[in-house]
Amino acid sequence: MSAAPRPRRTALAVAVGLILADSSIVVLALPQIYRDLDTSVAGVTWVLVSFNLVMALAAVPAAHLARRMGPGRAAAIGLAVFAGAGIACGLSEHLSTLVAARCVQALGGALAVTAVLELLPATVGSERRAVAVWATAGATGAALGPAVGGLLTELVSWQSIFLLQAPVAIAAGIPVLAVARHEASTAIVSAELRRTGRPHLLANLALAMVSAAIAAALFLLVLLLIEGWRLSPIGAAIVVSVMPLAALLGARIGPALGSERARAAAGSILIAGGLGGLALLPKATVALTLPPQVLVGVGLALVLSALTETALMGRAPQAIHGGWTISARHAGVAIGLIVLTPVFTHDIAQQRHDAIDAGTAVVLDARVNPLLKLELAQKIADRLEGERGKVPTIGPAFEPLPSDPGDRADVIGLREELQDQLDRAATHAFSPSFGLGALLGLLALVPIGLSRRVDL
Amino acid sequence: MSGRDRGGLLIAVATIASLALVFAYLAAGGASYEPAKVQDPCKPRPWRNPEGLEQIAEQFSLSALDGAACKLGVSRETLARALATPAARERFIQRYGLDDAELARAVRAGLLRAVDDAERAGALSPLLAAPLRVTLRNIPLDQAIELIQNARSLLDNLQNFLGPAGGLIEQFLP
Repeated sequence: MSAAPRPRRTALAVAVGLILADSSIVVLALPQIYRDLDTSVAGVTWVLVSFNLVMALAAVPAAHLARRMGPGRAAAIGLAVFAGAGIACGLSEHLSTLVAARCVQALGGALAVTAVLELLPATVGSERRAVAVWATAGATGAALGPAVGGLLTELVSWQSIFLLQAPVAIAAGIPVLAVARHEASTAIVSAELRRTGRPHLLANLALAMVSAAIAAALFLLVLLLIEGWRLSPIGAAIVVSVMPLAALLGARIGPALGSERARAAAGSILIAGGLGGLALLPKATVALTLPPQVLVGVGLALVLSALTETALMGRAPQAIHGGWTISARHAGVAIGLIVLTPVFTHDIAQQRHDAIDAGTAVVLDARVNPLLKLELAQKIADRLEGERGKVPTIGPAFEPLPSDPGDRADVIGLREELQDQLDRAATHAFSPSFGLGALLGLLALVPIGLSRRVDL
Repeated sequence: MSGRDRGGLLIAVATIASLALVFAYLAAGGASYEPAKVQDPCKPRPWRNPEGLEQIAEQFSLSALDGAACKLGVSRETLARALATPAARERFIQRYGLDDAELARAVRAGLLRAVDDAERAGALSPLLAAPLRVTLRNIPLDQAIELIQNARSLLDNLQNFLGPAGGLIEQFLP
């Protein structure tokens, strides 16, 4: 099998990376979307959930469709639909239209990404290499997504994330059109489609579980950084970029480190360990999120590529089995978000209440001039009332600082103590959800372990 | 090294790294990094060395809040926020299904506990505490709330409350 020109290979890898990044690229933009579209935390989660849910449901039917109409044509149409829906997302002014456009985007993405898998073996020269390129592009896209999305949100707007996807998708589609033009006009007969082997159930089940855990890591960490610790989107993007950097390292060293099963098991353990670390943060300090992120990033690269290769190798047709892996990954993300959202929204509400109580206690017991304390208490109460359902920002309540040096020092001390209580509350609110994510990572070891004995 | 050995080593390294991180964070206090729990208002809270009228007034207010919160079965902090403004008070009354009379009884009980605490801490003489108790038992709700918010005014205006006994204030305050 001879390899196709490099631009086509690059275009196909970019297409896969772009589409699979879309399951996480808006994570850092969610707080901004939440404010702009005046919705709830649970509501804005559907910007992510809808895309992943539709991808999960549409991937296998889309793969069948791609084989019927020809993978070149299917990839070109899928990329065009993805680009068009991306523009619609960028122009949305209501949550409902944004979610609807995200669903259409997922349909186009499902068609394109499964079709690309069918095109890749002829493009890169071998089935094994095709699977590796596809899996690596997908893992890289998923890991890079949040950082890119955060940068665009801060530097331009959340809408730009979607609007910029359109030209990239179209650019990736141009080399694919050349393939589509030379495709045989006869569609694959139904009998051939019926010969499709069963999907690798255990690998796909493990893929769903680790994807849910990875979604927890990305989504919750971003919310903690922006909503809990009040970082800007660009600040949060820089912080979470540690995860894709670690993933790139993992992808580079992974293949030499052992069998697919060993890499999958090690990756799951690392993801569980990283999430366990995030559940047990001993202080609200960005630096403490870095070691857990390194574990999750390396684990993500090891486990996603290993499980995808296990699910695809030796199974034909590639598009259909690729569709199953896409379906498993996105179902995992969607289920993870659906399960975790009520848990952390409840915990945030509870912690907000506890933070306000703890903050009130700090103010009441503070060694500050009582009259000054009364004034501060009123301003702080106004801040608390103004922040609906979120961990409040109380810094402005202390402005301007008193001119008397003694009072000034007392007030600064009180502000720091109060901020510490709020940081504790915000960090603690995410602990159970991170813990749940760690549990999912560990549970993935069950199907990975079973696949030693049973090759379904 | 065979592929099997490499795989085993990889899993061992991943396990050690994960456990090391989790135990390091646990050792650094990760399991207890949470907001401070508020204290039970029914339990006595020690008065911290009151020096001067300002500090006594503040401790008096805190004791009164504790006493009223204990009577109502809420935290001192919840009650402090509820008494901050008339609107907050209205929300609190509705949320807990109270009426003004119940709130007034609780606030008076709080003020009486504050007198007891002040007396026990040596901040208020028994001679001053006894008539103060009599006065506080019948004080109207708005005035009682005002006293909790600013006990300094109580101490400043003890003369008005106590009538002829008021002249003794300077003598009996520490």
